[in-house]
Amino acid sequence: MGGAKPKLMDRSIFEAKHAASEASGAALIEALDKVLGAKAGVAFAEVPVPHRRVERWKYTPTAAWWRDVLAPDIKTVAAAKCDENPVPGLDAYRLVFVNGAFDAAASDLPVHTGVTCMPVSQRHGQKLQVEDAFSPESSDWFASINGRYSQEGMYLRIAQGVEVDRPILIHHHTCGAGTFNVLRHDIVLALNASVKLIHWSTAAAEADGSVNVLTRADIGAGARLHLDKVQDEEGIVRHIAFEDIRQGRASHAEVHTITVRGSWVRNDLAFRINGQGAHAELNGAFLPGEGEFVDNHTTVDHRVPHCTSSENYKGILYGKSTGVFNGKVFVRPDAQQTNAYQQNANILASENSRMNAKPELEIYADDVKCSHGCTVGQFDSDALFYARSRGVGLEAAKAMLVHAFIGDVLKGLSIPEVRLEVEHRLAEKHGWDVWSDHPNDDS
Amino acid sequence: MLKINELKASVEEASILKGLNLTINSGEVHAIMGPNGSGKSTLASVLAGREEYKIEGGSVDFYGEDILEMDATERARAGLFLAFQYPVEIPGVSNINFMRAAVNGKREHEGLDPIKGKDFLEMVKEKSKLVELDGRLRNRSVNEGFSGGEKKRNEIFQMAMLEPKFAILDETDSGLDIDALRIVSEGVNAMRSPERSFLVITHYQRLLDYIVPDFVHVLVDGRIVRSGDKELALELEERGYDWIKEDITA
Repeated sequence: MGGAKPKLMDRSIFEAKHAASEASGAALIEALDKVLGAKAGVAFAEVPVPHRRVERWKYTPTAAWWRDVLAPDIKTVAAAKCDENPVPGLDAYRLVFVNGAFDAAASDLPVHTGVTCMPVSQRHGQKLQVEDAFSPESSDWFASINGRYSQEGMYLRIAQGVEVDRPILIHHHTCGAGTFNVLRHDIVLALNASVKLIHWSTAAAEADGSVNVLTRADIGAGARLHLDKVQDEEGIVRHIAFEDIRQGRASHAEVHTITVRGSWVRNDLAFRINGQGAHAELNGAFLPGEGEFVDNHTTVDHRVPHCTSSENYKGILYGKSTGVFNGKVFVRPDAQQTNAYQQNANILASENSRMNAKPELEIYADDVKCSHGCTVGQFDSDALFYARSRGVGLEAAKAMLVHAFIGDVLKGLSIPEVRLEVEHRLAEKHGWDVWSDHPNDDS
Repeated sequence: MLKINELKASVEEASILKGLNLTINSGEVHAIMGPNGSGKSTLASVLAGREEYKIEGGSVDFYGEDILEMDATERARAGLFLAFQYPVEIPGVSNINFMRAAVNGKREHEGLDPIKGKDFLEMVKEKSKLVELDGRLRNRSVNEGFSGGEKKRNEIFQMAMLEPKFAILDETDSGLDIDALRIVSEGVNAMRSPERSFLVITHYQRLLDYIVPDFVHVLVDGRIVRSGDKELALELEERGYDWIKEDITA
């Protein structure tokens, strides 16, 4: 190439790219309308098409999505035989979706007093939650896509005071080429209800497509939701996930997001804390390898007094991978006595990896306790040398430090079998032969 | 046998070791003393394989092998051990799992299967006694929240677990009270054997009352300038280092 220095910002190129995004976005909708048909009148014009100039999408490349426009081969592949239970030894109810379609044969729906659980397509007159100004559909283009085209998902209602006896596993599997999978899970927990959910995403090695999944959860007063979210997708899958969580008085909601594998992953979590005495917890660990991209955007909106939130995201980036963390915490003027904690720590395990981290705290109340920390660093060379001086190999020493680094996030996973399987899959991906730090586990 | 020949090393462009010669036979205990900045800890780090130090010349033969060609892991597995002056804290890694990885690394090198959990715990129990290491420290993170004395005892415990051929004790006495000094020294003495040698780096003669050396060397400005027996340490305690420095320049 010539020696001309690229300009810092070439406005015309920028504009052209922006226009291309707009056009691509519109073309994608047109193509999807033809195949899937529009479902609802979502005001797309109000929502900007993702582009680097849009703050929420500044560090998130979306060009790969527009490839679908060039080849609008959108089809619903018939339910393929999905893997068996992705979590060995886990005793759970199961809802299996393959390429966005419900796989009844592979599923095991809950039979439990006070629990209504079925695929959205079978809900016969039962109404989904109504969107409002705070729904992600109102502000995010991809969430609008979800609002317009979602056809399937889990419909879950848990009655007052009911604790579901086993976890519910939602397993989504993507396979084949050119698939466009849009799912919506709709959850309402009544007063003091309680459930543990596992959201497990897999994809076959030859998979090439996209997954767009939105989970709405309305957590009633005193209710408890534990959600362990594991993303382990092979192939080339563009995965975007929204969690839209509304919390009532003295409720407790936890979301643990572990990204084991994924060529392009964006997680968008929003907690609206609407009732006093509520607690929100959101933790995540992501370990992208060569060529992978993982983006975690979170919003915690403290709207009322006397609530707590705790957030802990850890990233380790290998090869030529990229990570994004954007953590918003709002403390509204009325939300006195809020205690909000946010931590994001990252290790660049290779010279070519890249991390964009941005804590965003907006605090409008004066009697609150908010703390946050954000670090991007490398492996602790003193600790590595110490371990090696005891005869531990370099890779094993690094694996040890990795485990220590993300250990507190993994410990948060609500279900032990899930944690073990996550550790197993991480070890497999990164070639760690030793992955055991459960003291006395064999004594 | 460890044979250091004309060893020269630098860190960040500064030359620290300037042609150091030292031979340590199996079963011997050598002490190195010297003023601050003379290169004592650099010698320990260079021998253990710390990569920040650049070898500018010389050789180190360890039982017939050139250890300067090995990385830190390989040196440890070949039987070299460094008890750190400042043991490193590793939050989140339990002491016991750290040691299991270390022991299994050594076993792998020897062509053995990983140690069985039960055998390992028995070994831990036995070796802990040697330095009166509190059982509760085993499940705690490596060195995290340990007192100065506990950290040093943990170093000797690790040494006992790994049973090295050659151990370097880098200012193991620093920060120890009299009781801890006695316990640590007794642990070291219990490990003395005709097959094992030690290099004890210290500022103070006091440690050498407990761990009695066969030879004492004085390191000044990157070279060993004087060698003798344990009496030399007593002389240094009494007269300081200046007379040696004057002797050299004279």
